Amino acid sequence: MNSLHNTATEVDKLLSRSVIDLGIPPCPAILNRFMSEAQKEEPDYHRLSNIISADVGLSASLIKTANSPFFGTRQRVRSPNEALARLGLNTASRAVAGIVLRESFPHVPNLERFWDASARTARISGWLAQRFDIRVRAEDAYTYALFRDCGIPVLLGRFPNYPAVLACANDETVRSFIDVEDAALPTNHAMVGSLLAQSWWLPEEICLAIRNHHELTTLESDSAILPLSSLKLIATAQLAEHIVQQQLGLSRTQEWPKMGPACLHILDMGEVFLETLYVEAAAVTAADE
Amino acid sequence: MSGLVYPTALGVYRIGDMNNIDPLTGLLDRFGCLQTAQSLSCDSTSSANPFAVIWVDLDRFKQINESFGHHGADQVLKDFATRFRNRMSGRAEIYRMGGDEFVFLVPRCNRTQAQHIANELANTVEEPLSIGSLTLHPTASIGIAIHEYGEDSLALLERADRAMHAAKGKGGNGLVCSGDEPIPGRLGITLAREELALENMLHTALETGGLCLHYQPIIRGDGQIEAVEALMRCTVDGEDIPPGKFIPVAEKTGLVIRLGEWSLLQGAAHARLLQDAGHHTKVAINVSRAQMISPKFTQALHAALICSNVSPELVELELTESLFMDISDTVQKNLKNAIAAGVSLAIDDFGTGYSCLANLKDIPAKKLKLDRAFVSVLPEDRRALAVVKAMTQLGHELGMTVVAEGCERKEEIDALLDVGVDAIQGFYYARPMPGDDLLPWLQTRGKK
Repeated sequence: MNSLHNTATEVDKLLSRSVIDLGIPPCPAILNRFMSEAQKEEPDYHRLSNIISADVGLSASLIKTANSPFFGTRQRVRSPNEALARLGLNTASRAVAGIVLRESFPHVPNLERFWDASARTARISGWLAQRFDIRVRAEDAYTYALFRDCGIPVLLGRFPNYPAVLACANDETVRSFIDVEDAALPTNHAMVGSLLAQSWWLPEEICLAIRNHHELTTLESDSAILPLSSLKLIATAQLAEHIVQQQLGLSRTQEWPKMGPACLHILDMGEVFLETLYVEAAAVTAADE
Repeated sequence: MSGLVYPTALGVYRIGDMNNIDPLTGLLDRFGCLQTAQSLSCDSTSSANPFAVIWVDLDRFKQINESFGHHGADQVLKDFATRFRNRMSGRAEIYRMGGDEFVFLVPRCNRTQAQHIANELANTVEEPLSIGSLTLHPTASIGIAIHEYGEDSLALLERADRAMHAAKGKGGNGLVCSGDEPIPGRLGITLAREELALENMLHTALETGGLCLHYQPIIRGDGQIEAVEALMRCTVDGEDIPPGKFIPVAEKTGLVIRLGEWSLLQGAAHARLLQDAGHHTKVAINVSRAQMISPKFTQALHAALICSNVSPELVELELTESLFMDISDTVQKNLKNAIAAGVSLAIDDFGTGYSCLANLKDIPAKKLKLDRAFVSVLPEDRRALAVVKAMTQLGHELGMTVVAEGCERKEEIDALLDVGVDAIQGFYYARPMPGDDLLPWLQTRGKK
C-alpha cells in the first residue's frame, strides 16, 4: 500500500508539470495515474483497479460503460476489475479518460445534459461502428464521440456570453456551427478540442476529426483533405447524435439538416435506412438504461 | 499510429493513411504511397497477380515554376491532379511524391496493361494547358515497374523511379519499363528512406507522448531572466531524435503545424505553471512559417491561451527567419491578431538566411535574436563584431530588445554586452533543461 501511495505521489508530481489548467487539478490526477500505469509495458491490473476504485463515481461510470450493449454481452460486470477485463486496456483507458473529462469541469454549471448527450452519442457511435460495415474501430468511434465537443465546456468556463453563442449556433440553418462561434469569439470549440485531444495524445485521426467536425466543405469534398478514417468518425458520431436527438428530443440542433446528407454519403447509407436504424437503436438504448 | 486496414474501391488494402494527404492536390503523399505499396506487396501472394507502379514526372516543370511563380505552378499541379483523378477514376491509386512527380499504383496489372495505362496518362498530360494568356503543351517522362513476387516495396518504387529517370534521360516525353532502361538512375527514393522513417516516428511521437519541451534561459546583462525558450525534444522507443533531423522532415511533411500547435499549448501551460509558482517568466515558443501562413493560426493561438489559462504577456512567439520570404496578408493579419491577443513577438536567427531588412519594419516584434553564426567568431573577428553592433543599433532603433544566441564563452558575452546586446542565451549560462528542472533552476538563481 505504501509503495502504491509513493508511486501515486510520484506520478502526481510528474504530472503537475503537464497538467493543463482547466481549473480541475484533482480529477486529471486520477486519469494520469491510471494512464501512467496503463502505458507501462506490463501494467498491473490490480493497481489499475485500485486507482479506479478510489473514485466511486469513476468506478460506477466504468462499470456502466462495460455493461453497455455496445460491448455486446449480456453478462453484467460488477467491479472495476471485471470492467477492465471486459473492456480491455485500450478501451478502458479511453473510457476512463472520457469519464474523467466529464468530471473535469465542476466550475461550469448545468453541464449534466451536455455530458449525458455526449455519453449517449458515444455509446450509439460505438454501436453503429460495431453493428454496421463502417470500417472504423468501435472504440475509436466511441472515444471520438466522447471527446468531440470537449472544447465546449472549456469555452463555457471562459466566456460568459458563450451560452448565447451556442444557442445561436444550434439554431443556425445556413452558416456552419463554427462560423457562428468564430464571429463572436477568437476561437471555436473544434480548435480548442483538437488542441486538448492532441495534448492528451489521442490518435491522429481522432484529433483531425475533432478539428474538422463542423467543416461541411471538407466532408463533401472529393479531394481527400482528411483521411477516410477521420471522415467516417465524423459521420458516425453525427449520425449517432441525430439518433440520440430523435430518441430524446434533447438539444436539437441544425447539424443533421446541414450535414446529414454528406454523412450518409460517407457511410454509404441511404436515407430510407434511417427508420430501421431508429428502431434498432431504440432497443440498444433501452437495454442500456 | 493506429493504422486502419480497409479495402478501397479497388480492392486494395490501404494501411493507416491518416494525415498522409498532400495539402495542395488532396492526393495521398509519398508516405501513403509507400504504405499502400507495402500492403500490396504483402497481399501479392503469387506471381500470377502482379501490380504495377507507374511513375510520372512532368517535363520542364522548372520552367513553369520560374515563369509563373509558385502560385502558378501550384495551380498547374492541382490541374494535373484533377486530370489524373478523372482519367483514372477508380482504376489506380494516385499519389503525389513531391514536386511534379506522381505515382500510380495499379492492382492486378501486367506489363502490357501498365504500358496501356501509361500511354493514357501521357495523353492526359498532353492536353493543352492555359495559364493566363498562354497555352502550354506539357509532356511527361514515365517509368513503369511491375511488382515481382517477394519483392520489397521500396525496391519496386526505386525501379519505377529509375525507369522514369531513364525516360527523362532520353529527352523526356517518353516511357520506359524497368529492365529496359540503359543506365542506373538516381536513387531518390533511397534518399527518402530515412525521411520516411523519421516521419513515421513523428506520427508515433504525437500519439504516444514522445514529445516534450526543454527550456533554455535567456539572461539579461544585469543578470535578470529575460525569458526561457521552449525547445522541442522527440523520443520514440527510447531513441532521442535530434531536432536538426526531425524538424526539417516535419516542415517538409506539414506535420510541423501539429507539432507547433502542441508546443504552443505545452509552452503556454508551462508559463502558467511558472506563474503559479511565483515566477513571471516569459516562455518563448517557436512558431513555424507553416503555422503563420495558416488562416487558422489565430484560433489555435487563442485556444492554447484559453486552455492554459496563462496571462498572454508571459508568452512570446519566436518567428522563424523564413517568414521574411513572404509577408502575405494572412501573415500580417496573424501577426496583428497575435499582438492583439497580448503575446509578444521575437524574430529568431536574424542576420543570415532569408532575413530581409525591408520586411523587418513590417513585423511588429519586440525582440531581435541574432543568429549564433555571429557569436562563435567573437571577439576575435572585428568585422563580425561590427555587424553585430550595427544590427544591435538597428534593433534598438526599432524599439527591440536584442538577444544573442549560442554563447558559450565569457569573452563572447563580454564582447556582445560591450556593443549593446541586451541579453544572452547559450550554454555559458544554461543548457536547455527539462520542464521539471527549470523551476528549481529559477529558484536557485533567484536566491543568488
